[in-house]
Amino acid sequence: MSTNRHLDPHCEAILQEYKENLPRLKTVEAQVLDSLKRTLSDIGLLVAAIESRIKSYDSLAGKLELKGHKYQSLADLTDIIGLRIITFYVDDVDKVASAVERLFTIDWENSIDKRKIHETDSFGYLSLHYICSIPDFPYRFEIQMRTLLQHAWANMNHDTGYKSGVEIPKRYMRNMSRLAGMLELVDDEFSKIRNELTDYRRRVQALVRSGNLDEVPIDGDSFRSYLELNPFDQLNKRIAAINQAEIQDVSLMPYLAVFRGLGLNTLGDIVSMIKNYSEGAYQIACYQIGLTDLDIISSSIGPQDLCIAFILKNGGGKAGIKYMFDLLNGVSESNATMADFLMEQSKDLPFMNTDN
Amino acid sequence: MEVITNTQDNVTTAQLIGRLDTPASQEISGDFESLIKLADGTVILDCSQLEYISSSGLRLFLSLRKAAASKGGKVIVKAINNDIRSVFMMTGFLNLFEIQN
Repeated sequence: MSTNRHLDPHCEAILQEYKENLPRLKTVEAQVLDSLKRTLSDIGLLVAAIESRIKSYDSLAGKLELKGHKYQSLADLTDIIGLRIITFYVDDVDKVASAVERLFTIDWENSIDKRKIHETDSFGYLSLHYICSIPDFPYRFEIQMRTLLQHAWANMNHDTGYKSGVEIPKRYMRNMSRLAGMLELVDDEFSKIRNELTDYRRRVQALVRSGNLDEVPIDGDSFRSYLELNPFDQLNKRIAAINQAEIQDVSLMPYLAVFRGLGLNTLGDIVSMIKNYSEGAYQIACYQIGLTDLDIISSSIGPQDLCIAFILKNGGGKAGIKYMFDLLNGVSESNATMADFLMEQSKDLPFMNTDN
Repeated sequence: MEVITNTQDNVTTAQLIGRLDTPASQEISGDFESLIKLADGTVILDCSQLEYISSSGLRLFLSLRKAAASKGGKVIVKAINNDIRSVFMMTGFLNLFEIQN
């Protein structure tokens, strides 16, 4: 840690103070970083990155050489410890800010919302900077909050010489402003898409809860909401009763691909399948585990046997059953063996010989 | 019933030999407890010499799967014969495991 810079004695004193307090600064940096990570995790906010750094000796010396007259002691500098939280969405910057406000004391006088400094016809650096402090620690620290795209723009702008002190050609400035404007639009569009998706999920959940299942297309969100109603429970319990078996709950999400593969379009179609094919599914289960002493089943047995009954009754045959197992277990010739086994059994099942 | 275990580079292969009925399940429960401790990696249950599986055997498989899921590991069931595959299918266990031929 040495410098050839010509510094005033009070700047040298600040550098000495920095050296003496460096271990403590590092400890606080780690504590603040940990506290931010834990809080964001607790509120379920996924961010692109959280970075932290302590200003290097050389960087501090450079700053003091340029602006040393502004600072009387190390405590006058607000960015000795710096942290940056980079969010995916523009809406999340304010959520992060709110979390930071709860965690630390904010020096509002020195904090700055650069998102608000632009005139209506200008575009550029957008970021929220809070100057923060914690009890029993004399130094303040800076937390910058911005989106991934704002971060990209800031880095590119910095990288191309913004801080070099050389006058920037107007054409370059104009191009960077155009890009800032475009990225601002893209950030807003990403947020809009997320908000629309959230609205869609809420609408689907409301429709599922109200029982208007004919109107709900089958997709990942709607199927997940539907499964919360435990639609296969009754059938599973009926099957379990055959051998007094215990039911192991497992995820039924793999059946999303199967129901769609079988041409079902709405949750209402699944309801109809349960209504029309539960008896067939039960007969399949009776024929299979009823002849064994197996007393454990998984909760996927209901949808599995329903789909088998549906395929058999609708003439899907061996190819249809193999297709179902291929969707569930991955494509394999052993699925054809299972299909053969089921085709053989199906000849004896009563539901195959009825009109309904 | 015999279990021969071999671990290399975070991949454990357990060769199951014989009939996994209720008494055999009790007999090898200690082997499965050892496998559960290794379930943060990949556990391959080599069933090429497994002749039969009962509900008790399925429970052992399931406990290993649960441990692997919670520890971020993986269980692969390898080379099951058609009878055992039918048992997996009839109980709804078929799509719970990665099954390799």
